[in-house]
Amino acid sequence: MKALMSLGALVGVLGLLLLGGMIFDVVPSNTVRLIEGYMPMQMLAEVACYVLGFAGLSYMLNAMGMGIPRFWQGIGFWVFLMMYLKFRVYPPIPFSVRAMYGTVALVTVFMWVSASEEDWKKFKQPIMNVLDAQTGMNRMLRYMYLVLLPILIGGFSFNAMMPKSEEPIELRTVHPAPPASTKVQGKTYVLQTSQSPYRVNPEGKYDQEYSNANIVEQGMGRLMKPNANPWDEKNQGYLKYVREGGEIFFQNCHFCHGDNLNGRGLHAFAFNPIPANFTDPGTIAQLQETFIFWRVAKGGIGLPNEGFPWASVMPPWEQHLTVDEIWKVILFEYWHTGYYPRTWD
Amino acid sequence: MGRVIGKRLFSIMALCAMVGLLLLPIVVAIPSLASGEEAIADGAKKEGDKVEKGRDVYYKTEGVVVGAPAPKTTDGPKDYPRYNFESRVLLWFANQQHLYYGSFVLAVPIFCMIIEFMGVVTKDKALAKRYDQLAYDFIKISLTAYSLTAVLGGILIFTFLTLYPAFFSYLSSVFRPVMHIYALMFVAESGTLYIYYYGWDKMKEGFLKWIHLSMSVILNIIGTLLMFLANSWIGFMMSPAGVDEQGRYLGNIWHVIHTALWNPLNLHRILGNMAFGGGVVAAYAAYKFLAAKTDEDRAHYDWMGYIAMALGVAFLIPLPFAGYWLMREVYAYRQQMGITLMGGLLAWLFIIQATMIGILFLSTNYYLWQAMGRMRGAEKYQRYIKYLVFLLACGYMVFITPHTMVMTPAELKAMGGQQHPVLGNYGVMSAKNGGINVIITTTVLSFVWYMRGNKVSTVSWAKFGNIFMGVFFTCAYINIIGLAIYGYYIPANVRVGLSVPQVTTTLSCLFFMFALNSMMMKGAKQMGPIEWGKISARSQYALIMLATAFTWMMGLMGYIRSSVRLFWHVNEIMRDNSPWAYTHTVGFAANMISANVLFFWISILFVFWLGSLAAKKAPVEAKAAVPGSVPQPAGSH
Repeated sequence: MKALMSLGALVGVLGLLLLGGMIFDVVPSNTVRLIEGYMPMQMLAEVACYVLGFAGLSYMLNAMGMGIPRFWQGIGFWVFLMMYLKFRVYPPIPFSVRAMYGTVALVTVFMWVSASEEDWKKFKQPIMNVLDAQTGMNRMLRYMYLVLLPILIGGFSFNAMMPKSEEPIELRTVHPAPPASTKVQGKTYVLQTSQSPYRVNPEGKYDQEYSNANIVEQGMGRLMKPNANPWDEKNQGYLKYVREGGEIFFQNCHFCHGDNLNGRGLHAFAFNPIPANFTDPGTIAQLQETFIFWRVAKGGIGLPNEGFPWASVMPPWEQHLTVDEIWKVILFEYWHTGYYPRTWD
Repeated sequence: MGRVIGKRLFSIMALCAMVGLLLLPIVVAIPSLASGEEAIADGAKKEGDKVEKGRDVYYKTEGVVVGAPAPKTTDGPKDYPRYNFESRVLLWFANQQHLYYGSFVLAVPIFCMIIEFMGVVTKDKALAKRYDQLAYDFIKISLTAYSLTAVLGGILIFTFLTLYPAFFSYLSSVFRPVMHIYALMFVAESGTLYIYYYGWDKMKEGFLKWIHLSMSVILNIIGTLLMFLANSWIGFMMSPAGVDEQGRYLGNIWHVIHTALWNPLNLHRILGNMAFGGGVVAAYAAYKFLAAKTDEDRAHYDWMGYIAMALGVAFLIPLPFAGYWLMREVYAYRQQMGITLMGGLLAWLFIIQATMIGILFLSTNYYLWQAMGRMRGAEKYQRYIKYLVFLLACGYMVFITPHTMVMTPAELKAMGGQQHPVLGNYGVMSAKNGGINVIITTTVLSFVWYMRGNKVSTVSWAKFGNIFMGVFFTCAYINIIGLAIYGYYIPANVRVGLSVPQVTTTLSCLFFMFALNSMMMKGAKQMGPIEWGKISARSQYALIMLATAFTWMMGLMGYIRSSVRLFWHVNEIMRDNSPWAYTHTVGFAANMISANVLFFWISILFVFWLGSLAAKKAPVEAKAAVPGSVPQPAGSH
């Protein structure tokens, strides 16, 4: 047990040193890389390691008679988490999300330090000491807080009220609800029931399972089936349509959406927000194929009211591509990213 | 002897009266339904071949058109008369208050039934008396609230008639065959409630008590049917059926009632009402605990708060799954509606909802940890609480991470796209299912620890049992998190199905671990009694927090459900042409919900105060019967 705790303490110290380096810009935040495809779990695992490390550290310090008071443990952990989110995770997390996490962390730290009466007493002891001001030091601290706290609150209020030149925050609806049906090049498509005419099996029938099995393996970038290479000119049916979709994509779309479909094309950074990243599990992987069809056909200009502030320069492709070409390019996007279109059955 | 027979006769007559009241609406309805059909047939005969037929918008069946089309309203005093105020806000307020009270008075009799039953089957006479008194206290509170519910119902109807006459007239014309059943249900509910309440003292023991208990069953059947009928209105407004494209009634009232969303709404509302009722009663007990002057009162209200919380949470745990079913049905009914709710216009409200759900579970866990403080022997679990806090915090943070983040354009640019490559993954359903299941499983674990807090198992296989439980919970966490990750690698329709094994895992923990724990704790060595009343004040604030979060969330979800119709009174049938057919901003909606919550709590405090006036006059027989005794909740120990 002692050895385990010592190991934990070592992890805790090393972790803190690493984070300290990142905070003071001595160590770049990507020194320990967030590995693509594993990032969300990696982040949680890292925080879990820190928690275990801190438990070990606390155990060791207690054993050496140098235990950290519960009050500082609580505050220290909250500060650690805030620093971790700000300096470890990249790209930077928007303030609104950090504020949400910070509030949750504050609440849970409170739950931890007040879970038992004994812990709660330990936690509030330093506060009570300052309020009681039985010693000279505490008396001085009390006067200091009396002066500092109003200044601090005043400062926050001033900062909040002060006019700023920053652009206002936006609550943009990225996936506005589509209409029930859409009319493209004279034909009406019911979004709930329409299907891609090119997602077909060798018999020419609509078959999502067949096409799903012939895509690129997500995250690995390799073909799921060895002979399912659409660039092989001999391939017919679904794979042929993927190839044709790819040709359309590289003639029209990759300038913005990028040759890896990650939204980082040649012109991408001329726009704000930058174009959609199809490799992100939050974009096309969440949507029905007909939703993409509607968005491609109608473009940014065709966004409904709830898509305000319509921050999209996507052209209405129905004016430049045929319906067949739109379906094929969508087919290619799913093939390349390895995602499956959403279905509701 | 003769007196006993007289009492029995009276009880049986009262029960028969209740059954009669239950059957009254149905009996009255049969001839009217039949005459309705005859009228249709007669009409058809008279018109000869000119019978107009319509196609049901949902069931796709053909039927004879017997109703008028939905009115095409225009903005003006005829269809939308108004005061110098937003009519929608007035209606929102009236509706919400009626719903709060309606939910409360429907939930409390169910509680009474459960608690009265616990009292009847408990062998400990002192405890049985306490349960009985508790159930009686509950119904007394409910009685005052019942009058207020009726008054608020009247206000709601007047608001409808005054501000939305065209819409209300259309809705009541479609529901005409059951309108009087609805009204008669109220009569039946009132009748049964009064018989149940005033018969309490007369049917205290033995066979008579069982009759009294049966009455509570009938009372709850009537209440539930009443709620189902009310739900059919909102079900019809969201997912109409039984009418053609113009909104003309096609003669089949069952189709109008049994719409696509009716059953999911029914289940969701029953569970929601129960959780809400538990929360309100727990908050009442918490308030009384904090204001109590004697140890005896503190012990009583501590116990009452615990029972109410336990009942509320018992219904809270399945609530997210019922909500999941409802959403699934919404998507199945109209994908557009589903996206508006979860991914589009109203998505941010769902983040707020997730936040509230998290608060509910966090408060529950916190209360349980505090409650362990009144048990000798529970200290052994205290040092592990920090790990539960960590699990809860991780689950909660994942659960509330928005898919669409609020940010400045500068932050958007720095992030390099709309989706954050790390946190964006928490914003989708797969991660959120994992998050909420981790939270619920951790709550189950807290309950298990609470239940064994002051006990040491004496069964020979105790060590094996503990190891088994540890392994079971570990596997459960691995399974839930593993499936949440796996969800990113499979098609969406398969991913939706993953929620089933996740939920099954959580429920397995709930049922198997509770059962195993009970078996292990049978005949266990007690480290000391539960010292009721010796709980921290913080725990009571947690109960108040729980109740406030329930109330706020009910207001929020009601608003979301209603505003998903966007600019329709009746989805795709009757358009809202009033000037208020737009969706409010998130800020306005949040303020409005808070105002409703505040009003409800102020008014219910008044109800509690009225209840306490009556209590002061009542003899404190039950309290005197068990001086200094410590009640033991049957469910947990």
